[in-house]
Amino acid sequence: MKINSGWIVRNSLFFCTSLVLFFFPFSAMAAGEYSFDVEEFEPKSFEWGGYAEIKFEYIHLNTDSAFYRLNFHQDPRSTIDRYTGALQLEVSYKKGITAFNGVLRSEAAQDDIGWPDRADLYEANLSLKPTPFVTVDIGKKVFKWGKGYAWNPVGFIDRSKDPNNPEEALEGYYSAGVDLIKSLDGSLQTIALTTVALPVWQDVNENFGERNHVNLASKFYMLYRDTDIDFVIFSGDSRSARYGVDFSRNLAENFEIHGEFAYFTNLKQNCLSEIGTLTQEEHSANRYLLGLRYLTKSDITTIIEYYHNGAGFSKSELERFYRLVADANTQLLNTGTDTLFQKAENISTTGYGSPQVGRNYLYLKISQKDPFDILYFTPGIIAIVNLEDRSFSISPEMLYTGFTNWGIRLRYTLLGGDDFTEFQEKQNENKLEFRVRYYF
Amino acid sequence: MIYGKFLSKPLKITFNFLIQITLVMLWLIPTAAFDGNEILLQVDRNLQPESYEMYRKLINVEPDGSKKEYVLYTVKKGQDKMVALFLSPASEKGRATLRLGDNMWLYIPSVGKPLRITSLQSVVGGVFNNSDILRLDYSAEYNATMVEETADKFALDCKAKTATVAYDRLKMVVDKETMVPLTIECYAASGMLIKILYYKEIKDFGDNLRRPSVLETDSPLYKGYKSVMIYAKIDKKDLADEVFTLNYLPRVDELR
Repeated sequence: MKINSGWIVRNSLFFCTSLVLFFFPFSAMAAGEYSFDVEEFEPKSFEWGGYAEIKFEYIHLNTDSAFYRLNFHQDPRSTIDRYTGALQLEVSYKKGITAFNGVLRSEAAQDDIGWPDRADLYEANLSLKPTPFVTVDIGKKVFKWGKGYAWNPVGFIDRSKDPNNPEEALEGYYSAGVDLIKSLDGSLQTIALTTVALPVWQDVNENFGERNHVNLASKFYMLYRDTDIDFVIFSGDSRSARYGVDFSRNLAENFEIHGEFAYFTNLKQNCLSEIGTLTQEEHSANRYLLGLRYLTKSDITTIIEYYHNGAGFSKSELERFYRLVADANTQLLNTGTDTLFQKAENISTTGYGSPQVGRNYLYLKISQKDPFDILYFTPGIIAIVNLEDRSFSISPEMLYTGFTNWGIRLRYTLLGGDDFTEFQEKQNENKLEFRVRYYF
Repeated sequence: MIYGKFLSKPLKITFNFLIQITLVMLWLIPTAAFDGNEILLQVDRNLQPESYEMYRKLINVEPDGSKKEYVLYTVKKGQDKMVALFLSPASEKGRATLRLGDNMWLYIPSVGKPLRITSLQSVVGGVFNNSDILRLDYSAEYNATMVEETADKFALDCKAKTATVAYDRLKMVVDKETMVPLTIECYAASGMLIKILYYKEIKDFGDNLRRPSVLETDSPLYKGYKSVMIYAKIDKKDLADEVFTLNYLPRVDELR
């Protein structure tokens, strides 16, 4: 559900965000005797919470890049200052075996280009839980299947997440599902089966795939000899059939490994041919991921993931598109016509404009908790490398959560690589972001 | 002796010898019963029932005295199943951690799926790590030997049963009267002292459960910092095994 009602949403959002942030000052508790009144935490039928956030971004544009030229050839500029206010509201109501959960997120931004705003219903889900073994869900719900941190090849009914912010909430899909759990004794400790029916109709999950079909997705989970294993299947006509398996296991008290493998049948892929025409190919493809998480004695956590997308564009296929945009720019400068730009814009919407469209990636996140004896301070660095063209995105960041219910993050992102490579041809050259979030 | 009239002298000597041996053994048996593992089992039962629900407050205290507090609802079943749900503060509310033996997962509502975590990580920062917050019975993870007994204390040396246990060795001092720990020194496999736990303030939680209501810890690795756990409510509770599964983590609050 999207509401683009202009200034009413925008101004209301800024007003609410400012109000929340103003009236809840930073508070680290003062010293004193310990006390604990457990009555304060008695369960309630209705609960609500969420967060308010303000964010400032200073974006330095890469004026020689393909996506800068696509987006700004009619309105050139070198930097963008953007202020964003966001409010996420979460409500829950429980009565007997019934529970309702809802999540609404609204966001408004002001930058040098305009005042975009939006409000999205992320979740609105009714659950029936007659026993600990069974849950029945109906409504809008988020699915996040798979064990990967940055990517999830087996997330057949997931929204794509941003590898730079993989822990952010995402919008769900309207669906109906049943979850069955059984605990066992012995090597096989748990089995669980989740089955989801996901319809695609007009105004219902329209961006999932082809309309007027009801799709089925199923995940069979087991905890076998201390290893999490999932078998996942998607069947339906909105997207092609796909099958997957994932696993996760702790090898030591500070070392975890995980992996995913997915087989996609009949994937339709648009590709720019050598003669400059857009062709559509249908083929099967594998996507897989291998990753690890390692914690050192000095509290440094390292997450490394290798991701292969068999349906991604090769280095030469991406380069072909970036050269088309360069030609479009030359055409515009020499003749004043933008026919090639129009063609490139159309092609970019068929897949080339999506994030991480290449074939092989490496993800690295290193963060240290509480360095220099500063509690709740977590500096870190995130790197994403396209292994085929060696282009990269590097984001050092600092996170501080020492004030109760506040999260403060400062992040700088630098993109680089050779000409006609993925990250070098992105719109931004670098970005500085400062975010303050208050949870209530 | 009562049998003096009826038995010959050699038999009398034999009987006397057997009776004395028996008396000596009967005198020795109670002491022998207090071997390290049995003391550890007794400590476990005195600290918590096998299956229960519990409310705890966890406080991280910084060197300047400022504090950060977390409230957790916890359920445990048997020796190796445990779930902790964050009730407060708002920034952590809804997070849940599950432990099944050596396996640990963290569920964050916004992430929407459980992630495997390791015992040495800390989901709350401060001196307590995940294995402290999701602590199983000591006897489930350690073999103990008694190294010293004084008039009012036992000193136990506990060695981890597997390499995946967070602390390789514990030095535990147990109060003889209450049979609960007083202090526990936690060591890494390298012999490095990681932290010291102090059990304090015995309280009656009802249902014959009298145990310390405060657990403090400090660490040479976090100089000047201190973390405290306050136990407010511990009640026996019957729980289905399915409560301790990944699929159930988003529903833990319904147990309250």
